[in-house]
Amino acid sequence: MIGLLEIRRRKFQFALIALIVTLISYLVLMINGLGVGLNEQAGSALRNFDADAIAYSDKAGLSVIRSELSQEQVDRIAVESGAEASAPLGYMAANYRKDGGEIESAAFLAFDPGTIAAPKVVEGRMLTEEDGDGLLVDKSFLRYSGLAVGDTVTISVRLVERDFRIVGETNEGAFFFQPSVYLLRSTWQELKYGTVDAATPVASIMLLQGNGLAGTSGPGWEAVSKSTAFANIEGVSGQQSTVQALRAFGYLIGGLVIGVFFYVLTLQKIGQIGMLKAVGASSFFVFRQVMVQVLGISLAGVAVAIPLTWLTNRAIQQAPNPVPIAFTNGTFITTSVLLVLMAMVGAMFSGRQVAKVDPIIALGQQQ
Amino acid sequence: MSVTLRVHDLSKTYGNGERAVQAVRHASFSTEPGEFVAVVGPSGSGKTTLLAMVGGLLTPTSGAIEVNGRDIAGLNAGQQAAYRRESVGYVFQANNLLPFLTARENLQVISRITGANGRAARQRADQLLEELGLTNRANAVATELSGGERQRVAIGRALMNDPELVLVDEPTASLDSARGRQVVESLIQEVKSRGKLGLMVTHDMAMAELADRIIEMHDGKLSVRGKLAASG
Ligand SMILES: Nc1ncnc2c1ncn2[C@@H]1O[C@H](COP(=O)(O)OP(=O)(O)O)[C@@H](O)[C@H]1O
Ligand SMILES: [Mg+2]
Repeated sequence: MIGLLEIRRRKFQFALIALIVTLISYLVLMINGLGVGLNEQAGSALRNFDADAIAYSDKAGLSVIRSELSQEQVDRIAVESGAEASAPLGYMAANYRKDGGEIESAAFLAFDPGTIAAPKVVEGRMLTEEDGDGLLVDKSFLRYSGLAVGDTVTISVRLVERDFRIVGETNEGAFFFQPSVYLLRSTWQELKYGTVDAATPVASIMLLQGNGLAGTSGPGWEAVSKSTAFANIEGVSGQQSTVQALRAFGYLIGGLVIGVFFYVLTLQKIGQIGMLKAVGASSFFVFRQVMVQVLGISLAGVAVAIPLTWLTNRAIQQAPNPVPIAFTNGTFITTSVLLVLMAMVGAMFSGRQVAKVDPIIALGQQQ
Repeated sequence: MSVTLRVHDLSKTYGNGERAVQAVRHASFSTEPGEFVAVVGPSGSGKTTLLAMVGGLLTPTSGAIEVNGRDIAGLNAGQQAAYRRESVGYVFQANNLLPFLTARENLQVISRITGANGRAARQRADQLLEELGLTNRANAVATELSGGERQRVAIGRALMNDPELVLVDEPTASLDSARGRQVVESLIQEVKSRGKLGLMVTHDMAMAELADRIIEMHDGKLSVRGKLAASG
């Protein structure tokens, strides 16, 4: 291919373009990583629930914060939803004191041991009914707080302070942008509502397992799929559209920049293109050379951006208080493919230009 | 292989209405097989326009062009491109090589376009370079070649597709006269030894004298002069 030969002979010029592609790809990859990272912060703990659907009080507008369920409702949802298994779960935001004494907040999730609401313990042990003063905490909690399994931590809520012992570690992630902490539902009731009587709510939401549960409802409750529940976490939809917009701009600018670069290159080569056409090359033949160059340059640019992103991610994760950023193979693949596609689309401008060149210019008609 | 060209009552008008320019007016001439013809005339007399029509780069306003009996005047754009690809070899004014390619690669551009870029094409390119005295410059990038070398590469490129017609427009415009003469001599030799038809536009009478026949143009009109006997 003449196009590839040109890249080989004009390495510096094309390397510069590839560098621009690398920087744009890097930017878009980082934005995508931030999007995934923010989403995890927003509620990976919810995503990790061992449930297919989540039931809320129908007055809560699918807000975990505002949903409250009575014992009677919990019993009815278990039956009326037709779920194969179900479990109540309580939520509460509360403060705790870090190792150094500073106050931080965490998302407290309350469950009954032995139900589907129980998290997986990766270190230490599971809570039992006797662990009224026991906590399971997320990895990230340990990292931020400087505490360890076996340590005592002071929790404060409603002007009450109470000491807990960390008995186990979980890896369920965050909830509402805070590390998740698990405790017994009975303890949660006391902490959140103070005096407990028959009228005290017993849970915030219900986790449901089974098929076709999303969209079911009954008197006083409604259930939605886990992904709907996730999308309804306060701040998630706004955050997602922000990230989507950034991402779209990234792709757009990427395509545009490459398009403009190759458009300028094409303009500079009008004379050469005229010569090629004069000796019988079709516009398609010439355009193919341009496309091969765009493909080669954008692939090279993306190929450099991926390890760069990967290294950046590693550096970030090593920081004591890392920026929420996360990557999956999927992010890398879709981002790369989309960027290369956008580059090809951007190159279409050059295609029009190539088609417009009149081969007669090769004769230097205007002397 | 012998090639004949017949041009009959050929006219080309650019634009229309008041701004119409009659660049070629009722031109007629025929060539003998294997002839090398020079077209001379002052600037603006229509030489390039005539060459472009014969070479399938311009569609005549009226008249006929036949190459070996085949009509060229009525081709559509796609057919013109195929005709140029298969039957025409062009030598343009200097510096129409691809600057980032070597001499050999510039010749191979043609075989890439025709889709026959194999070992045979490479051998053909090397042979043409040898005939043109460029063997030791085959791997030099076009920008490293001298003006004369570049123009000889351009001659080689024009012969790559084994054309019927070799069309040349002001081949020595960028060369001094000694070098220009060498280039034109080797061009004529290459064209004639292959029995092809050569048509060279020039404003340089010294170069034109090297041809078998000189056609003179004035205001789009033709007159034939000199060396008429050579055409039989
Ligand atoms: N594309 C064009 N549009 C309008 N007029 C043209 C065009 N090309 C050439 N002409 C005119 O046609 C005449 C012949 O031009 P040309 O064939 O280039 O002459 P030459 O090659 O002998 O200098 C000139 O008057 C020139 O200005
Ligand atoms: Mg001219």
